[in-house]
Amino acid sequence: MRVIKVEETQIASWTRTLLAQQRVVAVQERDERFVFDDLHQAEDLRLDHDVTLQPPLRHFLPEREELVSFDRPDRYAPVEPDDRPFVLLGVHPYDVAAICQMDAVFAAGVPDPHYNRRRALATVVACDVETPSGNVFAGAMGTAVVEDGYDVLLTRIGRQYLVESRTAKGDGLLALFGDDVEDALPSDLRRREAVWRRNRQGLRQHALACPPQALPRLLALSYNDELWQERSEYCLSCGACNLVCPTCYCFDVQDVVGWDLKSGRRLRLCDSCMLEDFAKVAGGHQFRLRRDRYRHRFYRKGLYTPERFGFVACVGCGRCIDSCIAGVASPVDVYNTLLERHPEALEEPREGAGARSLGQALASLLGRESAEEAASAAREPVLTLRPRCEAEEPRLALAKAATDALEVEQLVAKDPYVPGQAKILAKRALTNHETLYRLCLDAERKLGHKSGQFVQISLMGIGEAPISVSSGPDDGPSFEIVVRRVGNVTEALERLHPGDTVGVRGPYGTAFPLADLRGKDILVVAGGIGIVPVRSAIQEVLWHRGDYGRLTIAYGMRAPQDRLFGEEIEAWQKEPGVTVLETVDHLEGLWHGQVGPVTTLLPSCGIDPPTTAALVCGPPVMYRYVLADLIAAGMEAGDIYVSLERKMKCGIGKCGHCQINGVYVCQEGPVFTYAQVKNLPEALQ
Amino acid sequence: MKKPRVAIFDFAGCEGCQLQIVNLEEELLSLLEVVDVVEWREGSSEKSPEFDIALVEGAITRPQDVRRLEQIRARAKVLVALGACASHGGVNKLRQRLDLGAAKRIVYGASAREAFLGSGPVQSVDEVVSVDARIEGCPIDSQELSSVLRSLVLGGEPKTPNFPVCVECKRAGNVCRYERGEICLGPVTRGGCGARCPSYGMWCYGCRGSVDEPNIHAARAVLERYGKTVQELEERLALFGSR
Ligand SMILES: Cc1cc2nc3c(=O)[nH]c(=O)nc-3n(C[C@H](O)[C@H](O)[C@H](O)COP(=O)(O)OP(=O)(O)OC[C@H]3O[C@@H](n4cnc5c(N)ncnc54)[C@H](O)[C@@H]3O)c2cc1C
Ligand code: SF4
Ligand code: SF4
Ligand code: SF4
Ligand code: SF4
Ligand code: FES
Repeated sequence: MRVIKVEETQIASWTRTLLAQQRVVAVQERDERFVFDDLHQAEDLRLDHDVTLQPPLRHFLPEREELVSFDRPDRYAPVEPDDRPFVLLGVHPYDVAAICQMDAVFAAGVPDPHYNRRRALATVVACDVETPSGNVFAGAMGTAVVEDGYDVLLTRIGRQYLVESRTAKGDGLLALFGDDVEDALPSDLRRREAVWRRNRQGLRQHALACPPQALPRLLALSYNDELWQERSEYCLSCGACNLVCPTCYCFDVQDVVGWDLKSGRRLRLCDSCMLEDFAKVAGGHQFRLRRDRYRHRFYRKGLYTPERFGFVACVGCGRCIDSCIAGVASPVDVYNTLLERHPEALEEPREGAGARSLGQALASLLGRESAEEAASAAREPVLTLRPRCEAEEPRLALAKAATDALEVEQLVAKDPYVPGQAKILAKRALTNHETLYRLCLDAERKLGHKSGQFVQISLMGIGEAPISVSSGPDDGPSFEIVVRRVGNVTEALERLHPGDTVGVRGPYGTAFPLADLRGKDILVVAGGIGIVPVRSAIQEVLWHRGDYGRLTIAYGMRAPQDRLFGEEIEAWQKEPGVTVLETVDHLEGLWHGQVGPVTTLLPSCGIDPPTTAALVCGPPVMYRYVLADLIAAGMEAGDIYVSLERKMKCGIGKCGHCQINGVYVCQEGPVFTYAQVKNLPEALQ
Repeated sequence: MKKPRVAIFDFAGCEGCQLQIVNLEEELLSLLEVVDVVEWREGSSEKSPEFDIALVEGAITRPQDVRRLEQIRARAKVLVALGACASHGGVNKLRQRLDLGAAKRIVYGASAREAFLGSGPVQSVDEVVSVDARIEGCPIDSQELSSVLRSLVLGGEPKTPNFPVCVECKRAGNVCRYERGEICLGPVTRGGCGARCPSYGMWCYGCRGSVDEPNIHAARAVLERYGKTVQELEERLALFGSR
């Protein structure tokens, strides 16, 4: 680390040198406001900006970008990346903090090569705030000043700037000032500390009535507060608050196709969880109403992200307050009001206080299994605090930019968004709405899935849909899916024939842990198309018949003509120790089974709670009733497995669409134990 | 693959949307490589009794229109409503939702009395027959038309966007009209136009109709918050109509 002192005019000539060497994206004025944009002349650079309209995140996660290019139907290729290095110049500390948070998000789990590539190409030149914006509250969030996450930091002291380099990249930029620059004197560093002190105190246009570390606890207490309904009545569901936020990263995926009807691109566009269609699925089921969407944003920032990553996903930039014309987006407003109503959030929590169950449920899902650990996570909401130079203010631990180490080449080589290819070997209509496809990956590569996992089926130019693998895992190089026609992808699939190609990504998600269930009786409860994912488990149990006790299948469907796998069911029934019970909601035509909801079958299933594991899959409405009956029959929540379905776009824990509260169904699901989800209010509504 | 046959029909409207088809220019040639235009008064003279895709422009105002539209529906596999008039009578529907009344007089000003507007209850195409897809806008966006057509030819069902104009406006990095002391209907208006008006420094006057679930209560509160009245909104709409 080196800190030098330069004159204001030297910043301009340095910028000119930079411009001659590489692409510079810098803060400039536009329309009396400020933006990050390609810099064409050094004179346009502004370091006295209050806040930019769009966060610098847009240069790592653009509002619109190409994800995959294709030549339908048989070639999916990664897009040609823009490999020009660039300098991002004029980033305020709160935005640096946000970039560090996004680095953690896009490096976690399946890394996102598009984000990471751009991030690795960027050199971040931060600058301490000279002009506070009207709504900034970074001081309250501990992000008014940052200690790392940047390559170079500029701080104005009087008519001079201190320029600090933090990284090797930063050293390179510092060298461009030439040889005859002075190192900063201890007195200069003290003046810089005065700037930092001023900003910590000054960047507080709104006063948050608690330290940010208390927010997860506060939210854990406030889920059912009236506030969500009250405020959401004024919410336009316009998405502005998300779309300007430096820590909002949800995206949508759409295909565009050219006039040759063959070539095209798959795009990703910045999305917003406030929008009506964000969690709505084909067929119109709405997983989140306006109130729930309004609440979700605050929980995402103040509880879910802290539980998952260890930081509050709000850096206090104030952009959402600037852009919400309805005046209801302010995190400070909401949190302060909640604090008035739940002052106990500031008290030391008592052991095992029930109100934290939401936080606990999340914590245990994220692998902190012991109740103690979960409780301590809820009490000590995983925020690591590190002081800057004077230990006067708590700060967020900034996730280390995981990108420096990653070679750009390496990132490009494996792009999880590019589907592999599979050929349709066979196609068979099962009912008027559902069709079975047998698929085989390129070069007879084995899919390698486990029972309960899903794949993303891709029809380039049309889109992608998450579809469960319906055949058991021992099934050789090919596998089966069963698809109900409800929308674009599923209808288009129907028009394909054996020999045609589809794209496949995956397998994704969790599986039924059949290896752990050896020796147990298996009870399968399936409603409607819910039989499709559990069929893989049924097949697996049948192939290893000796390893399991009784296999009982309770299958409910709307009407006899909706029955799937009819012949197979007859065959299952002939196996030793297998019972299949069936029921229809409405009696039409010939029927040998019962009439009534699937719960009618449960009393006849002979459930022996201590030796039984239940696998449950069906439409959202089914779960509540079936689960209640299974618990009433004496089963433990940990022995009941459910497979849940949500809207999905990415399948790899990035796009945000599939969330149940803070849980990603594509990652931590679709198979959960009932114990894992019973305290998640959005899971079984 | 046999080329789908496309027929284009117009009812009461300014034909501005059809003009947008002509405006496809170079793309029009590509379009003609993948579809056959079998009936189109504006651009061709061929007539055909059968077609796959019917594009219908304009609102339905007269009894003979209703019969003609029903015949078109019977002949078409896919029927697409083209533009605001065909989709819902343009600005009217949104304005009804805002409960501002007298919409037509305001929007059309003096011409509201003219025969082609006043000759009967004005109906949107989907109030008469079932519609498979809608291309919103006044006029429609030629790029949107082009992507909807490609999607139809590929066998997809084009989705009418259901997010408000604000989404594209924010993606474009615009300064909000409200911050500039103006009114804007963006938050309750169906997007898809790329926030055309706010991006050019104008307000959104709602030409694409409202989103599925507009929060009218909130929209009124916004007007109040910025010291605007519903009357002012009406006047602004009148201003637009008189141009
Ligand atoms: C884990 C999982 C497993 C599934 N397994 C099966 C299966 O085995 N068989 C089957 O027929 N269906 C299954 N579905 C539902 C199936 O994904 C949807 O019916 C399908 O996405 C609809 O896509 P579409 O393009 O035809 O409809 P459209 O309405 O055109 O959908 C547009 C886009 O919205 C998203 N979307 C819409 N509905 C859903 C939904 N229900 N779930 C997730 N995303 C959605 C998708 O990204 C889709 O591309 C599963 C869903 C999930 C989440
Ligand atoms: S909180 Fe405000 S900005 Fe966000 S969606 Fe609601 S109205 Fe729009
Ligand atoms: S929630 Fe608002 S204040 Fe917090 S980081 Fe996002 S835009 Fe900034
Ligand atoms: S200018 Fe209009 S469309 Fe744009 S954000 Fe403001 S209200 Fe929404
Ligand atoms: S901004 Fe509004 S008025 Fe302008 S084209 Fe879009 S929907 Fe129509
Ligand atoms: S996060 Fe994208 S589908 Fe789960």
